[in-house]
Amino acid sequence: MLTGTADVERLARSAPRLERYLAEPMVLEDVALFQLVLEMRNGAREAVLPPSLHPTVPPTLSLQVWDVADSPWGPFRMAVSRVSCRAGVRARGFTTAAVVSSAPACDGLRGALGYPARTGEIAFVHGYSGVEATVRIGDGCALRCHAIDPEPIGADDAQYTGTLNLAQAPAGLRLLQVEFDVVPDRAERLRARLEAFDAAAWGEPLLDPYFVVAASLARGRVTFAPLRFALRVDELAFTGTESIAGQG
Amino acid sequence: MKFGIFFELSTPRPFSREREWAVYHNALEQCRLADELGFDHVWAVEHHFLEEYSHCSAPEVFLTAVAAQTQRIRVGHGAVVCVPEMNHPVRVAERAAALDILSNGRLELGTARSSTWTELGGFSVNPDDTKITWDEFVRALPRMWMQEEFEWHGKAFSMPSRNVLPKPLQDPHPPLWVTVTSPGTELDAADRGLGCLGVSAAGYDEQERRTREYHRRIANCDPVGGVVNDQVHTMNFLYCHEDYRVARDVGVPMVTAFNVANSHLYWTREAYPTRAYQALGNAGAAMKPRKAAADDPSVAKGLPEGVGVGDPEHLVRTIKRWESIGVTGINFLLNAMEMVPQEQVLESMRLFAREVMPQFRGAEQSALPVTAPTVLPRFALANGGQGPC
Repeated sequence: MLTGTADVERLARSAPRLERYLAEPMVLEDVALFQLVLEMRNGAREAVLPPSLHPTVPPTLSLQVWDVADSPWGPFRMAVSRVSCRAGVRARGFTTAAVVSSAPACDGLRGALGYPARTGEIAFVHGYSGVEATVRIGDGCALRCHAIDPEPIGADDAQYTGTLNLAQAPAGLRLLQVEFDVVPDRAERLRARLEAFDAAAWGEPLLDPYFVVAASLARGRVTFAPLRFALRVDELAFTGTESIAGQG
Repeated sequence: MKFGIFFELSTPRPFSREREWAVYHNALEQCRLADELGFDHVWAVEHHFLEEYSHCSAPEVFLTAVAAQTQRIRVGHGAVVCVPEMNHPVRVAERAAALDILSNGRLELGTARSSTWTELGGFSVNPDDTKITWDEFVRALPRMWMQEEFEWHGKAFSMPSRNVLPKPLQDPHPPLWVTVTSPGTELDAADRGLGCLGVSAAGYDEQERRTREYHRRIANCDPVGGVVNDQVHTMNFLYCHEDYRVARDVGVPMVTAFNVANSHLYWTREAYPTRAYQALGNAGAAMKPRKAAADDPSVAKGLPEGVGVGDPEHLVRTIKRWESIGVTGINFLLNAMEMVPQEQVLESMRLFAREVMPQFRGAEQSALPVTAPTVLPRFALANGGQGPC
């Protein structure tokens, strides 16, 4: 059984501080959520995950771009890099980095849900012809991708696995299990191309997405659930999971 | 009640040539013993690239060795992946017929479509198409075996008229099965007159519901082949020991190891948005856990109800329960990741055959060649064999 081998101290340097756990659902209205899944090579399979998690075979990266029209922090855009993994036997994605377009949303997502976010510019165009997304941090291009040929798919056909965000939580350094529910008005599958990806900008120079699997775009309401579980970062999830429901 | 053994040929890390050799040869030894003890079937899966979970990518080769080393036990593809990028249907028909001849008519042929992106992506298969190509395969294969002039014009493949050779020894052809993981696939099996080969261990209630509906539907099926196979087999685990606690201490880690390895596969639904794959994972997808379900990473899938781990008395009770809900066969996984030493696996099989099997059949029955489960008369093929065009 493969397990992660990333250095926890190094990972902890970019972990945001969480003052309290999200205890109430948080609703984001009129969201366009683009997800691009890519395979990576085996070289970094274990090295990009903390020791509590297991990689998938093959290792994969899911890049999400969120365009949110209404939220507690106003409109914002967010781009997230997640390595697909398993916590125990559960399918999850470990967040290596996030970029958020507005400072209030960036602070909110760090403080409420533990996203390792920093501010940056996100250009995101989605129309009948497809999707274009560009993420810039300072002068550098962190991500550029282009997706075309949208095909309608069923509302439930796109899968969003739970996200694990490493944060300094009230109980210490923990992986927070962030779950959200997407109720799409419409959903599409697209043919995508990754045109630029700066691995270092996404928190892990070893990330090497090279083979596009699929892309999807869903538009609708997204609700973050109250946080329920936190995982110790250096212990397998079978024994290292703590219930935090009701501790907000 | 039929009893089978079922192989994924799971192989623990660190990988080595010697370790894979040992997994294959331990399995062959288990097959020889199963043949002597009166087990009815040996099933081998077809999986590709699934590190640790299954190193059984050429089951027809493994099953040929099994056939050559045994006398009476039936050999089953559990199952051939019916997508043309992995297996051209003509090659499936040819290999199956040759294996049926070499095994003296002991072949069972399961059909499947694969459920991991690891496999489908590796062969550049479009996940949207696999149900369609599977359907075409199961309609074409019987015709290849029964007709001297076979031609086909479909989506999965097309070909001008040819005589696909050799023909299988079993007349009109080996029994056909469908592996059932996703709920609803048992209805696809029933509608086509195909046997229901469960490969994920469902709980009693779920299996009873599926079995009842399967039998209701197959009574009015439109058979795709020359015979109807109306059998329902489930997959289970086996570790039998006189002391229940010992059985549990050895068997539970084996079951857990299998489930953990299974859950670490990269499922098609996780990678690729499609209507064609609605379930995330398969092992234990329909199992009824004893603990309340929660999306809690600390909860392993554990030992659900109806699992064949225990002392002989417990196993007799468990199997009688399966029998009472209409299951006609149980195929046991004997080991996972080589966690159980080979001698203990063999002893578990011997104890099962000595203490459990006689509760379900006479000793003379266990010594006879196993007959095919096809019990209904052969059908004439409709549509003259021109395919679905």
